[in-house]
Amino acid sequence: MLRKLMKHEFRATGQIMLPLYLILLVTAFGSNIAGRWMIDSQISAVSLLGGFMVMAFAIAIFAACLMSFVLMIQRFYKNLLQDEGYLMLTLPVSIHQHIWAKLIVSVVWFITTLFVLFLACMVVAYNVRFIQEFFGVFADILRGLQKLKISEALNGTVIILEFLVLIFLFLAAFSLQFYAALAAGHSLPNHKMAYSVGCFFVFQFLVQFLGTMFLIGLSKSPVFRFLSNWDPSAIVAIHTGLLMMIALVLVYGAIFYIVTIFFLKKHLNLE
Amino acid sequence: MPALECKELCKNYGRTTALDRLTFSIEPGRIVGLLGPNGSGKTTLIKLANGLLTPDAGYISVCGCAPGPQSRKDISYLPERTAIPIWMSAKQLLDFYGDFYEDFRRDAAEEMLAHLNISPSQRIKQMSKGTREKVQLIVVMSRAAKLYLLDEPIGGVDPATRDYILSTIISNYNPEAAVVISTHLIADVEKVLDEVLFINQGQLVLQAGVDEIREEKGMSVDALFREVFKC
Repeated sequence: MLRKLMKHEFRATGQIMLPLYLILLVTAFGSNIAGRWMIDSQISAVSLLGGFMVMAFAIAIFAACLMSFVLMIQRFYKNLLQDEGYLMLTLPVSIHQHIWAKLIVSVVWFITTLFVLFLACMVVAYNVRFIQEFFGVFADILRGLQKLKISEALNGTVIILEFLVLIFLFLAAFSLQFYAALAAGHSLPNHKMAYSVGCFFVFQFLVQFLGTMFLIGLSKSPVFRFLSNWDPSAIVAIHTGLLMMIALVLVYGAIFYIVTIFFLKKHLNLE
Repeated sequence: MPALECKELCKNYGRTTALDRLTFSIEPGRIVGLLGPNGSGKTTLIKLANGLLTPDAGYISVCGCAPGPQSRKDISYLPERTAIPIWMSAKQLLDFYGDFYEDFRRDAAEEMLAHLNISPSQRIKQMSKGTREKVQLIVVMSRAAKLYLLDEPIGGVDPATRDYILSTIISNYNPEAAVVISTHLIADVEKVLDEVLFINQGQLVLQAGVDEIREEKGMSVDALFREVFKC
């Protein structure tokens, strides 16, 4: 059922995100043309048009980033807490599956947006020499990697994976903070959106307050004394740091996941 | 096994009592009118059966299961408002129902859509409010469910559409299932009902067969409703 929920979630969001990506790539191509032949033109109308084309690309970047963020909130709100909720929440699926479907699809769009932005920047900067230089850097990296020991190559790969996992989890946990605020705010009879905004800021305050208290507590604990006296190698220190951050983000996400489930299961209040 | 059963069911919204120790059961194969004035608790009861609300006390079950993903396989629910996603086309809506409900009869739905001259590629948002309601009813009635919960299916529509809705319900429901129709437009639904439940201020006032009411009280359900709920 999760797969089916995700299929329809991608269908709903794809009709907004895919045209946006197309616009982003087209405006990137326009910016490339503008940069090559138009902006420095002696004819002021052509130069102005080139400027507008670059501006359109900047707006498209902003729109793609904003929309992937807005969609994450809007889909949860509209699909589960508004009229569509009567259909979605009476499907033979659990609340957990609903949350996971929304979460996974949101994170996939975040990552795709980053990838398309990178692609668009490549399109803007495209000329033969640039691409040759860009892939030349890759070739240098590959030559460097061949000189590495197996342990160093393995550690490097694991660090990159840990970093990607951290980004993935942080995006999911941050989305869950929004979901929890919306679910809590919409459990009340009136002024649901105002309460949701209020809940978000209360949650944000609590995260910062409890996070600071945790760090203060940690600085006085035996763990801190152990870490102070610990003298690891750079690689081990990076691994430890990343794993600790992953653990903290997991706790942060799990708390908001539980809050979201609690309000949707026990205090659902569709109008 | 009853299609829908409640025992001492209670639900409060803050200090307001919506349902107060409601006890009844509905057997399969019956078309039941859930009748009561506005604010009597009809929609709350249907939401509780769907698991959209949690009871404060008591027990509610659908085909022997407490509300949850399992019981939702047995329920075909028509909410009082249009809940189908308006970005979908009619075909995508059928895909959606087909994906989530094993008992969805796609051929029946396609036939009913064709009867209304609705193209599969037409988007829901391009349809009028009345057509959206008909499409929602079509997908709900195209399921071979064990319990149909229809919340105000004929509220706010013209008399011709009411006739269409009632004939769609009667000609498409699973005969082994129970159909619960919540409404206060009794005169229109009376002809299709086997049984009625009168509820007022969250309490059961009467549960009786329609024929029984006519024979014993010598009046129509509509007349009895007017007498019971006289202001």
